[in-house]
Amino acid sequence: MKTGVKMGLLSLTAFLALLAGIGVGSVQVPPGDILSIVMERMFAIPLPDHIPASYSAMVLDMRLPRVLLAFLTGAALAVCGGVMQSLLQNPLASPFGLGVSAGAGLGAAFVIVLGVTSAGLGIFLMPAVSLIFALGTVFLVLFLSAKLDRGMSNVTVILVGMVISLFCNAVISLLATSSPAHAQRIQLWQLGSFSMREWSAVWALLPVTILISLYFLRYAEELDVMTFGEEQAQAMGVDLRKVKGRLMTAVAVLVGTAVAFVGIIGFVDLIVPHMARRFFGAAHRRLIPACALLGGTFLVLCDLAARTLTPPHEIPIGSITALLGAPFFLYLFFAGRRGR
Amino acid sequence: MNRTTILTVEHLSCGYGKIQVIQDLSFQVKAGERLCVLGPNGCGKTTLLRALAGVIPWQGSVEADGLALGGMPPKQRAKKIALMSQFSQTAFDYTVYETVRMGRYAHRSKSLFPGETEADRDAVEEALRRTGVWELRDRPVTRLSGGQLQRVFLARTFAQEPQIILLDEPANHLDLRCQAELLESLREWTTDRNRCVVGVFHDISLALAFADTALLLEEGKALACGPVEELDEKLLDRLYGMEVRQYMKRMHERWI
Repeated sequence: MKTGVKMGLLSLTAFLALLAGIGVGSVQVPPGDILSIVMERMFAIPLPDHIPASYSAMVLDMRLPRVLLAFLTGAALAVCGGVMQSLLQNPLASPFGLGVSAGAGLGAAFVIVLGVTSAGLGIFLMPAVSLIFALGTVFLVLFLSAKLDRGMSNVTVILVGMVISLFCNAVISLLATSSPAHAQRIQLWQLGSFSMREWSAVWALLPVTILISLYFLRYAEELDVMTFGEEQAQAMGVDLRKVKGRLMTAVAVLVGTAVAFVGIIGFVDLIVPHMARRFFGAAHRRLIPACALLGGTFLVLCDLAARTLTPPHEIPIGSITALLGAPFFLYLFFAGRRGR
Repeated sequence: MNRTTILTVEHLSCGYGKIQVIQDLSFQVKAGERLCVLGPNGCGKTTLLRALAGVIPWQGSVEADGLALGGMPPKQRAKKIALMSQFSQTAFDYTVYETVRMGRYAHRSKSLFPGETEADRDAVEEALRRTGVWELRDRPVTRLSGGQLQRVFLARTFAQEPQIILLDEPANHLDLRCQAELLESLREWTTDRNRCVVGVFHDISLALAFADTALLLEEGKALACGPVEELDEKLLDRLYGMEVRQYMKRMHERWI
C-alpha cells in the first residue's frame, strides 16, 4: 500500500477515535450531534432542535478538551519515544530514561507536600513546577554526561539518566513517607490522569507538540543516519554533539510539558514507535508523523477504556496503557519473529 | 609515473583524554593507491582511522586533495573522506535502498524536506550495482546475511562519493568469497579518477594482497612506510614479535 493511502487511513482512524472518545460515556452523543455542536461553536451554525443545550456544554467543556489533551499527550510521548530510540540506537529506550519523569514527579511531589499555592498561576502552578524540575533534571543529566565523556556516548547518557532518576525517585519516596497524608496524591499523580480536562492545558500543549514535531522532522535524515551508530554518523558528516544536544533538549521540553499536565503515562513512548515502524518503515520522514497520529489515537482509546470500563470509577490511564500495551507489544513482536 | 598526492598527514597526534595513542605521525597516499596499516593490537590503527574520519579530535595537519581537514565543517569533510567501520548495525528495519541513500547525507542541502536530486539517485543506483546489491534494494537490512550487509555498507560508502575511503577490518566475519568480492569492488573503485584507500587489517596476507603500500605502526609511531614489494621483513618480525615468514609458510603449507 502506498504511504499516502496508509497515512490517510490512519488519519481517518484518528478522527473516528476522537469522535468515539467524545461520544461514548455516561451520556452517549452520536457523531452527527458532536459535529453539529462543534460547528455551532466554530462557525455559529445554529444547533438542530433535538440536541439539548446541556449536551453542548458537556461536549465542549468536558469531553472535547479531555480527548484533545489525551490525543496531544499520546502524540507527544510517541514522537519523543521514536526519537529517543533512534538517538540512543536502542529499541527499548524511552524519554523517561533521561530523567524527565523522575524530575517532573519530584517537582509535583514538592508542590503537593509543601501545599504551595500561587494566586497568579492557579492550577498551572503544579505543571509549571513539574516542567521546571523535568527540564532541570534533563539538563543535569546531559551536563554530567558531557562532563564525564566529551562525546556523550549513549551508555554514559543512559547510566547518568538512570542514576539521577533513581535519586529523584528516592527523594519522592522520602517525601511521601514523611507526610502520609499526601502519599496517595503523589502516587496518583505518578500514574497519570486526564481528569484536568482544561482548555488551557490543550492550548499550552498544542503549539509545543506541533512545533517540536516539525523540529524533529527537520532532523529526520540525521536521525536515520544516527541509528547506524554514532561513529559512522560522524564520519558521514553529522555534527553529532550539536544534533544530539538539540534533539535531547527538544525531547525534554515536549515530554516535560506533556508530563507536567497529565502525570506519568508509560508504554505509549515505547510501543507506539514500534507499531508505527511496522506499518510505515523506519525512515523518520514517515515515522514521526505516523507516531504522532498513532500515539494520539492509542491514548484516546486508552482513556476511553479508562473512563468507561468500571463506571463510575476511573482506572488510572497508566494501568490501561500497560494492560493493552503489553499483550499487543508481545503479539507484534512474536508475529514479526514468525515472519522472519 | 608522477601521481598526485591525495592524502597528506603531517605530525598527526591524537588519543583519548590525556593518553596519546598516535604520536607525530606523517605519511602520504597518492591517487590510485591502496595503503594498508599494519601493526599489533593496540598500536593505534583504528584510532588513526577515527581521527582521519573526524570522530575524535587530533593535532597536526591533514590535507585531503590539497584542502586542510582541520576545522572543515563535517559535511564538507564527509564529501572528501568516508569511513567504513568494523561494526555498523541497526535494530531498525530500513530497506537496503534507504540505507545506501543515507550515504548521500553530506551532499544534501539543509531544508525541511530535502528532495532527492538526480545526482543522488544516480550515485545510489551506481553504488548498489557496483556492489551487487541492486536486486536486494527493497529488502530490510535486518534480514540480510553478514556478507550481504557488509556489501550494503560498502555501497553506502560509495554513495557518499568520497575521494578517500578508510576501512576498518572490512573483511572481518566474512567468508572467503565475500572477502574476495568486497576487496575486488574496492580495488576497482580505486582505479577510477583521483581516489585512494587506507585500510586497517589484522590478516597480513590479506592486507599485502590487497594493498600496494604499507604503513607499519609501532606504538603510535611510523616504523616504516613504502611499497609492499620493498617491505623489510625484519621490521615486520620486530613489529609482531615473531618470525612472520616462517609462520606464514607453516600456515599456508598445505596449499602450496
